[in-house]
Amino acid sequence: MTSQQEEPLIIDGRWDIPYRHTAGQAASRFFRELKENKRIMGVRCPSCQRVLVPPRSFCERCFVPIDEWVEVQDSGTLSTFTIVYAQFTSLPPPPYCIGLVKLDGADTALMHYIGGLDLQDLEAAKKALSVGMRLQAVWRDEREGKISDIEYFRPA
Amino acid sequence: MPRRVAIVGVGLTRCSSWRRDVIYPELVYEATSPALQDAGITPNDVDAVVYGSMDPFDGVNAPEKWNVDACAAAGMLGKPYLKISTGGTTGGSAALAAYYHVASGLYDVVLAVASQRVGETLEAQLVLNTAVDPVYERGFGVGAITVAAIQACSHMHAYGTTEEDIALVSVRNHENALNNPYAHLRVKFSVQDALASAMLSWPLRLSDCCPSSDGACALVFASEERARKLARQPAWVRGAGQITDNYFTGDRPWYEDWDSLAMLARRVYRLAKIDDPMREIDVAELYNAFTIQEILEYEALGFCEKGKGAELVRQGVTAMDGQLPVCPSGGVLSTNPIGASGLIRVAEAALQVMGKADQRQVPDVKTALAHAWGATIGFHTLMILDREAP
Amino acid sequence: MSSRVCIVGVGQTHHRGPGGNLAYHEFAFEAARAALEDAGLTRGDLDTVLASGWDVLDGRTISDMHLVPAAGGYLKDSAKVADDGILAFAYAYMRIASGAFDTALVVGHGHAEGPTELVSNVALDPFFYRPLGVGVTSSLALQASAYAAHYGVSEDQAAGVVVKNRRHGANNPYAHLTSAVTRDEVLASKMIAWPLRDLDCRPQSVGAVAVILTSDDRARRIASRWATVEGIGWATESYYIGATELWRLGALTSAAQRAYRMAGISDPVAELDLAEVHDITSYHELMAYEALGWAEEGAAGRLLEEGATSMEGRLPVNPSGGALSTNLEAGTGLARVAEAALQVTGRADGRQVEARTALAHGMSALAGSIAQAHGVVILRRSE
Repeated sequence: MTSQQEEPLIIDGRWDIPYRHTAGQAASRFFRELKENKRIMGVRCPSCQRVLVPPRSFCERCFVPIDEWVEVQDSGTLSTFTIVYAQFTSLPPPPYCIGLVKLDGADTALMHYIGGLDLQDLEAAKKALSVGMRLQAVWRDEREGKISDIEYFRPA
Repeated sequence: MPRRVAIVGVGLTRCSSWRRDVIYPELVYEATSPALQDAGITPNDVDAVVYGSMDPFDGVNAPEKWNVDACAAAGMLGKPYLKISTGGTTGGSAALAAYYHVASGLYDVVLAVASQRVGETLEAQLVLNTAVDPVYERGFGVGAITVAAIQACSHMHAYGTTEEDIALVSVRNHENALNNPYAHLRVKFSVQDALASAMLSWPLRLSDCCPSSDGACALVFASEERARKLARQPAWVRGAGQITDNYFTGDRPWYEDWDSLAMLARRVYRLAKIDDPMREIDVAELYNAFTIQEILEYEALGFCEKGKGAELVRQGVTAMDGQLPVCPSGGVLSTNPIGASGLIRVAEAALQVMGKADQRQVPDVKTALAHAWGATIGFHTLMILDREAP
Repeated sequence: MSSRVCIVGVGQTHHRGPGGNLAYHEFAFEAARAALEDAGLTRGDLDTVLASGWDVLDGRTISDMHLVPAAGGYLKDSAKVADDGILAFAYAYMRIASGAFDTALVVGHGHAEGPTELVSNVALDPFFYRPLGVGVTSSLALQASAYAAHYGVSEDQAAGVVVKNRRHGANNPYAHLTSAVTRDEVLASKMIAWPLRDLDCRPQSVGAVAVILTSDDRARRIASRWATVEGIGWATESYYIGATELWRLGALTSAAQRAYRMAGISDPVAELDLAEVHDITSYHELMAYEALGWAEEGAAGRLLEEGATSMEGRLPVNPSGGALSTNLEAGTGLARVAEAALQVTGRADGRQVEARTALAHGMSALAGSIAQAHGVVILRRSE
């Protein structure tokens, strides 16, 4: 064991592990629809009838495959949110607002940014945002088939 | 009915932001050695070992393989050895696994170990971000703090909980930690100090958040026959369980109620034959990684009605001298070696039942509850310990 | 407390190579559904679900968030063993044996989305082993080299394992690699890490396997035939290999002894009708014969050469084709259990051996130093 006087050796480590994730059928179609048709698609479980956004290929509650696709609106209500003011390594620069948006026609909420308002001033932002408020998607003109094809949801 | 199982020994390490004085196996040994001593057993007496940690945080995938011999010489002695990894509930899951090892009848004495070296990760939130689905959600930078902030936003909106309420949770936990020599943060401050701390993710401030800690914990579980010989006062497992809720954050967007915990609590209370938790539970070690969660946990665990959690705080019901002291250890708010934190809750609950909690002992504890949550808040574990065998 | 645990259902996907259109947890969904159908059960019948695998391999911290719901575990009492699926099976076994649960589903998978060598490298301590850049294949090669040198095992004998298993795999409608290979092809394949050539090593397969366990009470009520777990054992070795005798699989011997004792087996070659072992490399199958007590130390090659472990021999090993034909990186051990269960219940299409008692073996592939953890399960056909 090291004596009290010696500083233990510190060795730097870094994992830089590349991955190649398969999105699967459901997510692939969702992103294709965002890009090509500028629309948000969900899926409806044949058993519980919930419309699930983001879509997935099976319903975990009913445990059945899902293949019915349903278009949902690109507007909705804000279920809940937070505004981030801290800079975390390699995560987005603050401030940014993350919210859960219950799109019209969907039974689950979609995570996305809430934007189009000044977030620097917390008090002003808190006044501008409220649970239950109406939101509208702001789409990018150049879309790539990613969740960022919607830039954010703005107060409507 | 599973056979009776009890905890007969506890070992804890000093936790800090970075235990730079020890290499990983030494840190683990610092918990396992006292646990064996506390139980009055040697490595040869251990029939099997369960190990819990969240791999990406330590910068060593599967550290249990490296630490194997620090766990009662499990490698040298060729013991059965299992690794459990279930996010923040890992420590609670490890306790459950050890419990089932003994309850199965295959093993009589089982060592549960959990560790984490968050101090060796330079950015914990980045690691937590890798838990979030890479296809839809990871790009938003969501981590534990943002999800807890969403819980706070919803609870404040639905029930009128205030920033002062959660600041008081912080103050109480940190005050409790002053009695706990193993805790990481041992500081005293006021509600004003808390409200003045930096806003991290509205409405959560620095004072509302847990630290990142290095630490380890070990517990010895034993069959009834062995427990009665090994411990003067075993901590009997009266009921235990765990649950997995939905994956996408938006599938259950009503964040003001912690349904998955409420569901698990009903199941475990039924197993433990508890009808009135506020009256029948003497102390609770809750996984309060963020202040608001402690309040949601009171409600889900049935300590009070929905939405009334903040009142328990304001009225001092859950303070050290209250009717149901919560986190005499200082909780996760004071100490968070993530994969170990769930096991530390069980350890602290066991110490309370065994009467070995020193300065943080609540008088006359018969029944203690230990909780952990994990994932994007959809995982929970619960274990109820008692002075009497079920 | 239930005295017996039984396998009443098995499901697996048609395993294939990397690429394709399903996300990793979607394979788990398919395998779990197939297992439920096989058992005649629904998700509502499950009390507990155990997932397996490594977060770092899957590129998803807390991978059980995906895997458990995909395997039917939504709102169930569930957990993940971060290791090969055979160790999750061991945990499921204990959950049922305790009497706290009646029906468990265990799932294992492989999906080749992460680089296995690098993932296994970061599983090593950052001070002594990791900086050398060793990973699973180079460390298994080190062990193969020690074994070959210590006992004079030839590359021919190792190649014989590959030829046997690939021939067996060609019969398996679920296998990934379904073409036989010759000894010459094995010896001509590219040298990866001496003495391991490409064909001595496992492929990276994509797919999932699920197994359903119940108490024997329940099995009797719901099934017409099942496989009873007669014995089970698992064990670990130390991490630092400097003091180990690398030419032995010490933890496998410990695990096997526990399983044999429980099952009341004293003469495994006589009492076992078949075995599915984790042939993580060709040499490791030979080492397994010795660790499992079927051959004297160093004599495994002879057992192979006699044909004893071929489909037609007295102790067929890997009639499924083994890991050398299908390798779910974190689920190969569980796949061995599944195959053994199919064999003793007479449902191993195309690869069936006359079997009443079978042994399944799995090991931890990507974690630890070298072959550090093993599990053994012994199954017997219900009467």
